Amino acid sequence: MERRKFLNIGLVAVAAAVVPATSLHAVNFRETKAKVWEAEKSSQAIKEMFGEEVFSAPNKLIAVTDKIKMTAPKLAENGGSIPIRLKSDLDIETLAFFQDANPRAATVVFSVPEGQKVDYSFRIKMRLTAYVTVVAKTRDGKLHTLNKEIDVSIGGCGG
Amino acid sequence: MAKKMKIKAKEKDGVVTVKAMFTSLMADTEQALKNKVEVEYIAHVIGKVNDKVVYEATTSGFMSENPLMKFSFTGAKKGDTLEFTLTDNHGKTQTGSKKIK
Repeated sequence: MERRKFLNIGLVAVAAAVVPATSLHAVNFRETKAKVWEAEKSSQAIKEMFGEEVFSAPNKLIAVTDKIKMTAPKLAENGGSIPIRLKSDLDIETLAFFQDANPRAATVVFSVPEGQKVDYSFRIKMRLTAYVTVVAKTRDGKLHTLNKEIDVSIGGCGG
Repeated sequence: MAKKMKIKAKEKDGVVTVKAMFTSLMADTEQALKNKVEVEYIAHVIGKVNDKVVYEATTSGFMSENPLMKFSFTGAKKGDTLEFTLTDNHGKTQTGSKKIK
């Protein structure tokens, strides 16, 4: 009897732990990960978003990937509107975009609905030349990243 | 925040391509101070078709002014309605919808 009860408790605990993870659509990251939006540097923002162990884990949770394609200009003539396109065939759950040019690093975080492919275009602001970083979390828990330097010509002259 | 929202949605071979433009200054603290305007930016965008989430983004003030977003998704027919809900930094919400062509 004792053992049976113990097992039951275990089952309930597992069920309770699983439920919030499955109903995880419609997440407002501003409420759940408020600290991300305060971070000044990309690396700090990534840590806040995906957990402290991202950079320190022995088997490197985060890996540079070529499976996400980012289309961005090498030289941006207008720092107020830089078109970015992200495309991937991976089964991505969360896609985060960071840059180092502005007072705070976090720019946009997409939570991709299940079964949808990533093909997002948007425009960002950058005050100066800096690196942009994309971090994607796939549904199997792996993290993929890529970065690129974008030159922003100040004064709007692309010469 | 009764502002314009331009949405275009087209279906072809089961894939719906969407272009959406929202009106917002997207001014974060520093920029608002510089331009002497109020801090105002879209914080959260959610797109739904038949109560199913197809697009979701948490944004910050470092997106461009009047953010233009393009994306594509599957699982909707012609004639379905695509509905966007925006939440700004003050917590105000705005909705807009468009039929998929």
